[in-house]
Amino acid sequence: MSTSLSPARAARAPVKRSALGALTDWIPRLVLAPSVAVSLFFVYGFMIWTFVLSLTNSRMLPSYDFVGFAQYAQLMANDRWWVAATNLVVFGGLFVGICLVLGAGLAILLDQRIRQEGSLRTIYLYPMALSFIVTGVVWKWLLNPSLGLQAMVRGWGFEGFTFDWLVNPDMAVYTLVIAAVWQASGFVMALFLAGLRGIDDSIIKAAQLDGASLPRIYARVVMPCLRPVVFSAVMILSHIAIKSFDLVVALTGGGPGYASDLPATFMYTHAFTRAQIGLGSASAMLMLGGVLAILIPYLYSELRSRRHG
Amino acid sequence: MTTAKNQTVARAPAAPATRSALASALLNRRLWLGVLGWTLALVIFFPIFWMIVTGFKTEAEAIADPSLIFSPTLENYAEVQSRAGYAKFALNSVVVAFGSTLLALLIAIPAAYSMAFLPTKRTKGTLLWMLSTKMLPPVGVLVPIYLLFRDTGLLDTRTGLVIVYTLMNLPIVVWMLYTFFKDMPKDILEAGRMDGAGTLQEVIYLLLPLTLPGIASTGLLAVILSWNEAFWSLNLTSSQAAPLTAYIASFSSPEGLFWAKLSAASTMAIAPILIFGWLTQKQMVRGLTFGAVK
Repeated sequence: MSTSLSPARAARAPVKRSALGALTDWIPRLVLAPSVAVSLFFVYGFMIWTFVLSLTNSRMLPSYDFVGFAQYAQLMANDRWWVAATNLVVFGGLFVGICLVLGAGLAILLDQRIRQEGSLRTIYLYPMALSFIVTGVVWKWLLNPSLGLQAMVRGWGFEGFTFDWLVNPDMAVYTLVIAAVWQASGFVMALFLAGLRGIDDSIIKAAQLDGASLPRIYARVVMPCLRPVVFSAVMILSHIAIKSFDLVVALTGGGPGYASDLPATFMYTHAFTRAQIGLGSASAMLMLGGVLAILIPYLYSELRSRRHG
Repeated sequence: MTTAKNQTVARAPAAPATRSALASALLNRRLWLGVLGWTLALVIFFPIFWMIVTGFKTEAEAIADPSLIFSPTLENYAEVQSRAGYAKFALNSVVVAFGSTLLALLIAIPAAYSMAFLPTKRTKGTLLWMLSTKMLPPVGVLVPIYLLFRDTGLLDTRTGLVIVYTLMNLPIVVWMLYTFFKDMPKDILEAGRMDGAGTLQEVIYLLLPLTLPGIASTGLLAVILSWNEAFWSLNLTSSQAAPLTAYIASFSSPEGLFWAKLSAASTMAIAPILIFGWLTQKQMVRGLTFGAVK
């Protein structure tokens, strides 16, 4: 901390010689300390703790008998872990991709200066303000074959209509995608819309004068300008995907069986209901590794762009 | 490039065809886009609408053929309260959401003040570093926090949940307050200092009143995030301190057949957000993009 004394500050300090002056000088750091300490201790400190636990054979209670990387080896041999990890890749990829496409589409639609744009924007954004638990409940109902959409369409006379993804082990993970896309695409729309509004109109006017059609203008002129928006949307969406836990709990409960488990629910099940804290911690560390693989490039580019611009 | 030029030449004579035809084509286009926009809005809103409607049906009607023709009943709302003690969980949600928000603001306002008005060369790095903790998955710290809470008796208490939510929201709250404080004209604070105001007076009489809208929307975002949070509430509470999210989740698994009651409970849980939807949307976007979209 003492190294952060900037030259300006060091020069200013002797002027205020009183004890009060010294205190004033320290206030910025004192008031900042709780926030920094809290993040340092509770986040990074506890992650190290989790890592330590992942090297032990802790079961229901934490023990500190170190077993090296045995828990990781066990995890690698665990079929259920691979189901969860594969699900995360499938779910995350589809969720991010579909949200981007739908979000961009909705934003372009609203950008056509249609009437009542404000109310439409609010409605598109509504799902994002809901809890994932509520989203899960709503879609559990809609996707329930005997109550929801399937029953509704059959009621209209299409008896052969089948939509039973929720109870189909091969398809259950896609129901998570549907619900999560419903929740988040309005938010992506808002990101894109803000980006679209930030584009200089004269560029678009120029392209129009050159005779470019509207789809062409969006594809060739507007979208390239929105690359930073796409980038931050991908970051935020993948972080939502990796954190997904409550949606699974409320919508599929990880089922049928463990067909729609995600790493977060896997971790929860093993650490708490199956009393395998060591194994659960190991899976948490692997998830962390996955996040860092996304986060580090993001922070790097963020810092770099700040420095340049 | 040459083809593009040719197209321009070819199109040029066609463009100013007749003014009225062009205007009506544009009008038509706007009409169709409007229809498309509202159709999409209906599709998006339908699940919420259907949940609200189901909450006013009887259990038998809820699982019968989906229909909009029924006589609305309030029995689910009454029963959710009498049988499950809905009010207790709602109270937990309110206490925890507002408690954690107030606590986060108390810690974050001084921190954001110091970052915005007394920056050092490390300020930016500290901020980004604090935000980085938001990006990490909470499962990484779940086991230690669970163990700590169990040993200190904080498990299934509102106090424990308030602490966790405060920690969870602190980086976003600091960041948002920082962006609001930075937008404030520095001259006003300078003028205050000229008049002999100390730091504390400066904050209380100048900074806080002037940035109140920003502080309010930051607080609102923190309340929404805490209100909706389910990872921690599911893992750290059971019966005593469970907020609405945990209550609804527990409702849905073993008693999956009570759709009408579940819908009623969920409707009540989202009612504040639905009502304040127009107010909350900006904060959601701003907060979730870490202030990038204003």
